[in-house]
Amino acid sequence: MADDASWFGVPTPRIDGVAKVTGAARYGSDEPIAHPAFAYLVTSSISRGRIADMKLERAREVPGVLDILHHGNVGSQAKPPPSMTGDKATNTLETDRIEHDGQIIAVVVAETFEAAREAAHKVQVDYAVELPSASFDSSGVTAEPKKQKENPKVGDAASALAGAEVKIDAHYSTPTQHHNPIELFTTTCIWDGPKLTIYEPSQFMWGLKAAVAKQLDMDPANIRTVSRFVGGAFGSRGGTTSRTAWIAIAARRLGRPVKLVATRSQGFTIATYRAETRQHVQLAASRDGKLVALSHEGWEVTSRPSGYNVGGVDTTARMYACPNIATAVNVVHADRNTPGFMRAPAETPYMFALESGMDELAYALNMDPVALRLVNDTQTDPVSGLPFSSRSLTACYDQAAERFGWSRRDHKPGSMRDGDWLIGWGCATACYPTNIAPCAIRLSVTPDGRATVQMAAHEIGTGAYTTIGLTVARALGLKLNDVVVMLGDSDLPPVPVAGGSNNTASTLNVAAKACEQVRDRLAAAAVADHESVFTGADPKGLRLSDGMLVGDNRHEPLAKALGRVTGGALEIHAENVPEGLPPTAIGSLYKGTATMLRGGSRKDVTTYAFGAHFVEVRVNSRTREIRTPRVVSAFAAGNIVNPTTAHSQFMGGVIWGLSSALHEATEVDPKTARYVNNNLADYMVPVNADVPEIDIIMVPEKDERVNPLGVKGIGEIGIVGMNAAVANAVFHATGKRVRDLPIRIEKLI
Amino acid sequence: MVLNINGRDQHLKVDVRTSLLDALREHLHLTGAKKGCDQGQCGACTVHVDGKRELSCLTLAVAVQGRKINTIEGLAGADGGLHPMQQAFIDHDGFQCGYCTPGQIMSAVACVHEGNARTDADIREYMSGNLCRCGAYPNIVAAIKQARSSMERG
Repeated sequence: MADDASWFGVPTPRIDGVAKVTGAARYGSDEPIAHPAFAYLVTSSISRGRIADMKLERAREVPGVLDILHHGNVGSQAKPPPSMTGDKATNTLETDRIEHDGQIIAVVVAETFEAAREAAHKVQVDYAVELPSASFDSSGVTAEPKKQKENPKVGDAASALAGAEVKIDAHYSTPTQHHNPIELFTTTCIWDGPKLTIYEPSQFMWGLKAAVAKQLDMDPANIRTVSRFVGGAFGSRGGTTSRTAWIAIAARRLGRPVKLVATRSQGFTIATYRAETRQHVQLAASRDGKLVALSHEGWEVTSRPSGYNVGGVDTTARMYACPNIATAVNVVHADRNTPGFMRAPAETPYMFALESGMDELAYALNMDPVALRLVNDTQTDPVSGLPFSSRSLTACYDQAAERFGWSRRDHKPGSMRDGDWLIGWGCATACYPTNIAPCAIRLSVTPDGRATVQMAAHEIGTGAYTTIGLTVARALGLKLNDVVVMLGDSDLPPVPVAGGSNNTASTLNVAAKACEQVRDRLAAAAVADHESVFTGADPKGLRLSDGMLVGDNRHEPLAKALGRVTGGALEIHAENVPEGLPPTAIGSLYKGTATMLRGGSRKDVTTYAFGAHFVEVRVNSRTREIRTPRVVSAFAAGNIVNPTTAHSQFMGGVIWGLSSALHEATEVDPKTARYVNNNLADYMVPVNADVPEIDIIMVPEKDERVNPLGVKGIGEIGIVGMNAAVANAVFHATGKRVRDLPIRIEKLI
Repeated sequence: MVLNINGRDQHLKVDVRTSLLDALREHLHLTGAKKGCDQGQCGACTVHVDGKRELSCLTLAVAVQGRKINTIEGLAGADGGLHPMQQAFIDHDGFQCGYCTPGQIMSAVACVHEGNARTDADIREYMSGNLCRCGAYPNIVAAIKQARSSMERG
């Protein structure tokens, strides 16, 4: 399947573009609903304690109020959602306990949004307050080593560090961050007898359905989740949050659809976030720059009940050839909501530390930072000893360095200047594991030369409609316009969670498999038919092209080939379980669990995509204002299906990386353990004027081992390492090493 | 109350506290304008009132009676042909998830009409009230430059 390079690589505008520019694309809260009631959440204003009393009289007096759900009346009707890590979630209405700031403690339902909002503000809560622990340095936190799996270890890092010629030893930290997709966290629930329909932005349609079924003790077959377009996700819609079940219960109590649009501030506490980390990196090298030891230990904050952590040492241990590697991860429990996946969950914080450390090592060696990466590049996974299925890191550095003009760089910090502006050039490595998961699809082909694809995939901005459409159009020899792509509905075959950059590989490989089954059916019937032009031909030599079945210098129209098989349309239901996963993985997917074949856990090869970032930073010598006028980033990620949307994914990732370096941090009040800047004016994200010229290079890469189509996910790699590249450039400009993100003016004074 | 939306009078009975955004979305089923913050910080709800860009979440519906309100749904021609700005956003992939896009496009059209789209720096500055979390900003700038040319010719 992957031998024909013309399959992919043609820049193609999104097939959902018209819907998106005309306002016709329906996001969760856009679905037209007859006569809904409106819900408004009441959330806790303390982070630890108990609800002593909840006075509802004033709220109930608001005209139009229909119902108020709280611990006392519905608490036993739902269980907390299962967490994606398999451990315990924090509570909401199930208990009178408060476990974190902004915990859902009541749901007010009214005839109008305005009445629900007014009444929610009139709910009076008396708390029995307990002293909360906010984060790392708070009293009352508990720490423990990560449990789930063993951390990578090779050789004897401690001895190698002790005896090394050149070494660095540094501590880094990264802040709390929130995804802040522009679409709010919304849920609309509608009952029709025993059947429940949920309109909600989701990165895992079948996971949401299964989770709500468990929470409400329902048959999953009675639940349908719909999410045709998702207004940004970045990991925040991967797991099921508590709100959904309560809105379902509200709708059931009322016998009427209920619609929730949570506020921006509530989004900070009713969903997940990227937890703050602390990290300790020790690197040692011989004088020629070859690494002899790498030690990386991380600490991550989580909630009281959950052991959630991202454990990025799985990736940092695999970055460079090194004979002695030691890693460890610790979780620190505080009175906080449970963190979760946020774009490149593990790699964004952990690669900041490693790639900052590599820059420090380059200066300790008096060696060019690019040269240091290249001398330690490897085609062998240093942890497992397996080959990388492909690894084009050196090509990425070569191409990006040339485009950037890196050879004109003066290595000495503070050596480049333009008037009042100190100029710094920095670089860092980007990487992301290539993951893939089981997936299913329904594909129908009709005699008029059209195909319809149906799968519960997720359009979160990645261009899923278009990449799936392109794959089917090319495999079936049809025009893209003649392929209808239907996604975002759990009544369609299951697709794994749109996380871990797996969905392109997962959906496209099953789509190609379904198309191959269509071809097989048509070809087998054609060669067996004595009146066919293909009588006696080798069925393997036949293919679909330009609306024809062709091969062996013969051809016939698709309609004729189809007519022979079904007399009309041909419909295929196909499933794909990636080689290396057990066959039962597809059954798990139908039960709402996405079993992923991860880049670092395969038995045959290790699969990662790689890239290289180069950034120019300008720091004003008087005001310390920081600007980033230009970025050049190169990525090699297997076959690029649609360069148009791939470019946007890479570029968006780079902007997230700049933001991680310079803008984003959620401030946690150390006394109250509450989020302070819980809105889009105080939580800094880049605006148009913050974003520089960004040059994206897509380095060609063929990978026949990663998966049949040779595609690697690209949704996350763009952000990885960018924060370090900026910090390294700031060091080059100023001589000041900032090891604590984000880098703001006050850290350079 | 009566609101003139996309050239047509719409009669509706709403709570006096209803924002223009909620009037459009919840009462008139014009869901192109999006709620991203409901407090004037993100720009996703941008519409035109008497030809000028306004944040519909910070505008009470009752306050814009008698004014001409235009939303993303009214931007394409009567024949369904896309406005040059809409086409330019498609041509330059000026979005990813698409949620901020109606607001970006309404802002961008106004930006050109205001004369604030003459240089790249101007476009970036005058489009900075519209957040795009996916990071499509450079493509949005390119789209506005393309549309500006055809809007000025047209």
